[in-house]
Amino acid sequence: MTSTASVGDLVSQPYRYGFVTDIETEKIAKGLNEDVVRLISAKKHEPLFLLNFRLRAYAQWLQMEEPDWASLGHGPIDYQEMIYYAAPKQQAKKASLDEVDPKLLETFDKLGIPLSEQKRLSNVAVDAVFDSVSIATTYREKLAEHGVIFCSISEAVKDHPDLIERYMGTVVPINDNFFAALNSAVFSDGSFVFIPKGVSCPMELSTYFRINSGDTGQFERTLIVAEEAASVSYLEGCTAPMFDTNQLHAAVVELVALDDANIKYSTVQNWYAGDAKGVGGIYNFVTKRGHCRGARSHISWTQVETGSAITWKYPSCVLQGEDSSGEFYSVALTNNLQQADTGTKMIHVGPGTRSTIISKGISAGRSSNSYRGLVQIGAKAVGARNYSQCDSMLIGDTAAANTFPYLRSQQPDASIEHEASTCRISEDQLFYLQSRGIGLEESVSMMVSGFCRDVFNQLPMEFAAEADKLLALKLEGSVG
Amino acid sequence: MVSLAMSPVTAPGSASTAWLESVLKAFEPSLPAPGASLGGLPRRRSAARDELRRTGLPPTRQEAWRFTSLAPLIAVPPQVLPVPELLGPKPDHPPASGALRLYWDGDRDPLAGMDLPEGLSRLETGLQDSLLGTVLEVAGTTGSWLVRFNTALAGQVLALRVRGNVAVPLELVSDCGQGSGVRPLRLLLVMEEDASLDLLEVHRAAGTSLTSVLVEAQLAPRARLRYGVLAQGTESSCLLAHLAVSQAPASELDLTTAAGGWGLVRLEPAIIQVQGSAATRLRGLQVSRDRQIADLHSLVRFEGPNGQLDQLQKAVVDDAGRSVFHGAVQVPQAAQRTSASQLSRNLLLSDRARVDAIPQLEIVADDVRCTHGATVTRLQQEELFYLRSRGLGADQAARLLLDGFCDEILASLPKSASRWEPANALLRQALPR
Amino acid sequence: MIRPDAPVLLEIRNLHATVGDQPILKGVDLTLRAGEIHAVMGRNGSGKSTLSKLLAGHPAYTVTAGTVRYRGDDLLALAPEERARAGVFLGFQYPVEIPGVSNLEFLRVATNARRLAQGGEELDTFAFEDLVCERLKVVQMDPAFLERSVNEGFSGGEKKRNEILQMALLDPLVAILDETDSGLDIDALRIVSAGVNQLATPDNCILLITHYQRLLDEITPDFVHVMAAGRILRTAGKELALELERRGYDWVDEGLASSDHAEADATALEVA
Repeated sequence: MTSTASVGDLVSQPYRYGFVTDIETEKIAKGLNEDVVRLISAKKHEPLFLLNFRLRAYAQWLQMEEPDWASLGHGPIDYQEMIYYAAPKQQAKKASLDEVDPKLLETFDKLGIPLSEQKRLSNVAVDAVFDSVSIATTYREKLAEHGVIFCSISEAVKDHPDLIERYMGTVVPINDNFFAALNSAVFSDGSFVFIPKGVSCPMELSTYFRINSGDTGQFERTLIVAEEAASVSYLEGCTAPMFDTNQLHAAVVELVALDDANIKYSTVQNWYAGDAKGVGGIYNFVTKRGHCRGARSHISWTQVETGSAITWKYPSCVLQGEDSSGEFYSVALTNNLQQADTGTKMIHVGPGTRSTIISKGISAGRSSNSYRGLVQIGAKAVGARNYSQCDSMLIGDTAAANTFPYLRSQQPDASIEHEASTCRISEDQLFYLQSRGIGLEESVSMMVSGFCRDVFNQLPMEFAAEADKLLALKLEGSVG
Repeated sequence: MVSLAMSPVTAPGSASTAWLESVLKAFEPSLPAPGASLGGLPRRRSAARDELRRTGLPPTRQEAWRFTSLAPLIAVPPQVLPVPELLGPKPDHPPASGALRLYWDGDRDPLAGMDLPEGLSRLETGLQDSLLGTVLEVAGTTGSWLVRFNTALAGQVLALRVRGNVAVPLELVSDCGQGSGVRPLRLLLVMEEDASLDLLEVHRAAGTSLTSVLVEAQLAPRARLRYGVLAQGTESSCLLAHLAVSQAPASELDLTTAAGGWGLVRLEPAIIQVQGSAATRLRGLQVSRDRQIADLHSLVRFEGPNGQLDQLQKAVVDDAGRSVFHGAVQVPQAAQRTSASQLSRNLLLSDRARVDAIPQLEIVADDVRCTHGATVTRLQQEELFYLRSRGLGADQAARLLLDGFCDEILASLPKSASRWEPANALLRQALPR
Repeated sequence: MIRPDAPVLLEIRNLHATVGDQPILKGVDLTLRAGEIHAVMGRNGSGKSTLSKLLAGHPAYTVTAGTVRYRGDDLLALAPEERARAGVFLGFQYPVEIPGVSNLEFLRVATNARRLAQGGEELDTFAFEDLVCERLKVVQMDPAFLERSVNEGFSGGEKKRNEILQMALLDPLVAILDETDSGLDIDALRIVSAGVNQLATPDNCILLITHYQRLLDEITPDFVHVMAAGRILRTAGKELALELERRGYDWVDEGLASSDHAEADATALEVA
């Protein structure tokens, strides 16, 4: 090889969102015990049912062991060294944005999520979560006109306790897994969305999560309920400052879709991934699950996972309602020493249920990128159909791409089809693009985004271009 | 609420521990029969016995055993399977003309009194001693439960050396008949450079028996092994077989397994291309009905560049049968320009049956072509309809399609398999009703 | 069109190149002036495809001696994309398929890179679509191909049309067309050739790499060079191609044998 282009390594592009906002923060003492759980609940003035929910979860968690089956390499996590509640000091309730600390508004400005009236995105309502609390939610009034509730989960607990009590924990039971139990005990904030019967949410909803403190775990909780024939498209984004320690992010997301409801949930995850030597970064251990309860209901997960030192998440669908359908579209990109173990579970319970899985993994550097998925067709799921496609792209010969699909069927009148392939960017393809005047890095990013196109097409339009850029940025330095 | 956790089944209780202990007692090492080759067996055997006592039966919470119930195993009487007085050609299945048939019972020496064809010989005891276990070490499967179990029980090894082209197809037949008990069989096959052999292994059982097989085959450069395993059992019989093969560059392995009718059958082909640049072709068919469990765990690892794998694994599952396929393909950094394809096709014929398919691809090298696929379906309704529209009855049409599905695999068995009518043996009962 | 006073666009002097350790080019000399059409003919393995890829900057080839000047500047110092932006175009013999990458998007990015290098403005998606629709006519290509992935699932003829479409968009000063006629039926060959003829101007030059006369029936060269064993053995007008067609390549071998004796002065075989 001469002047150009073997796909190798070069300097890494710095993480753009690695700054820390200097703001006075109220934190409780580190460590976890029953009193801490009670304290969190008290700070949020929660009703008794929720305190009990937390205490039950905490008791369960004590009985559980941290999972190790994904064989992810990380040091032991000391759950007593972590702070479970941190909130920027400000007036608890923000009647209007004017009362929000300007430093916070500035933070979100810098992250590209302007919240103020003049600058905010025109067709996207945003809930901004900073460490453990939601600091602002835009367009609430406009949404309320349509009967749509979009607020932080803390506010929902106060204003709509009946809905919370009815739905929270019904999709992800408190003892579902180690991290879900932990979250159920100590969850801080997150978003609540309720779309009443027959309503199509008039705008995109979005939550933006920002971890700011270095020693704080983030345990957000999101609950989205779409009643009969309701529909909503929701997007979450995540960033964190650069610290040389690892922060734990253990979120729980629950989606409930009743008859003919439609929920589209998109994630662009860009938590700090650690440096090129693998120091620092977020441990992203997340439980996301949607329950297609109603007939013909539909839940679609789209994720673009580029950040975090370790990602461990399997956004799943329980397809219970007759003819309900689930989709999972995923791009996971790992570079340097990142590890991603992600995929989905499609549990076909009801007859006529359908699911589609499209997963694209891109591994560069010395990273490890695994697809792990389960397609299960139960005995009653007559006529169920699944199609899965898992493609891996390897950049360089030190990255790992693994595929672990589990297919299980108990229903003869059903079909599962799984396909997987591995490819790389060939020298010939690179040369072809370069010989048409397209630079090396742009050539690589064109091909990567071409590889991911099936997934990007699923993202809300406002964010598809953003995801493309993010990927290009992440890959900068992986070729040279 | 549906439980989503991939939760383990409860570990087997003390019944299994007692069973295992009784089996070990029944196979307490004694002085070897005169003439039986010893090799390094005794030392390995006692180590494996200790290890087995420590670990017990494989717990179902272990990933490799999560989908495989061991209930049929511990129903087998924990005793040595009695050996019939006489061995001889069974009138219903005479050996194919020109084929050499060896009868294998784990007790008597299959080579005693046999004229071996040119190129095939007994491996010298000294060599056997040094080579035994090496393929397992290369494969990294010494700790596999099937390996340990066989090592703990087997009192002799059939050790063969192949030099040059062996023109005579070899048949290795173990028939447990109506007998009850456990039969351990161990084979060490050393193929020298440019050696070539057609080998058909036949396992049959009709009683409450367990056949435990451990094969190590070592293929030197340019060696070519066409290897078929045809295994036909009944509801009460079990077969556990670990087949480890190491392949040197330019060697070719064509391994076809076909198993059906067993209460529990588990096959573990473990193929290692020690420096890549070899060709591996795997074909597998398993048929299970009633409450039968058929399980194939394969591992193929490329430890050098330019290796090839072509794997096709099929299953037919009816009634309350269960089928498991776990297929690992490992392509580490050294294995550039590997070309590997794996396909698992499963026919699910009943709503009480269950199929688990778990392909597993682990890749680090970037310049590779790896694909895998899996399907779980019933017979294609369009195809059935087409045949019926041409006047075939529903059963007849289904039978035709099923035969076609299986023939693709069975056709790859060594030719001498035709004597055993593999399709009939495996599919006789497995038909949609 | 031969104009002795026309500016020299590409000047190749004593070019030696290897792939791995294997010497492929052993002293190529070639001068291309604006307005000229050159054809390099030769057998498979004569080095003609190497020459074309090397000029485009393919990383598999190492230049061991000699120079290539493009409008006076050292072409070999440029990365492949810089050459393309500067106006050197290679039409590939086997254009690769690039799944997932939209042909339209690819053409737009490439065109804009070239336009910027020429000091022009980038075109937005709408303006570009207008441009590309107009240029499609040059090769009579169905706009449906714009919506597909780059070359993916294109027939041989469609790939070659796509190449010439790129040439039409990138507006090169030196266009090297490597076996553009291979894999084309007679109708496709006519269409592609007509496209090339349409794109040939007094300001640019074209280097046709071909094995057969049939392309030269459609695109008339000003010069024909015969290449063998990594050198240009003979140069003449278009009648040389006809002679090759008539006599086959065997007489080239004779020339080659005699040139081995005259190793020191290989260039003497060229027409001065």
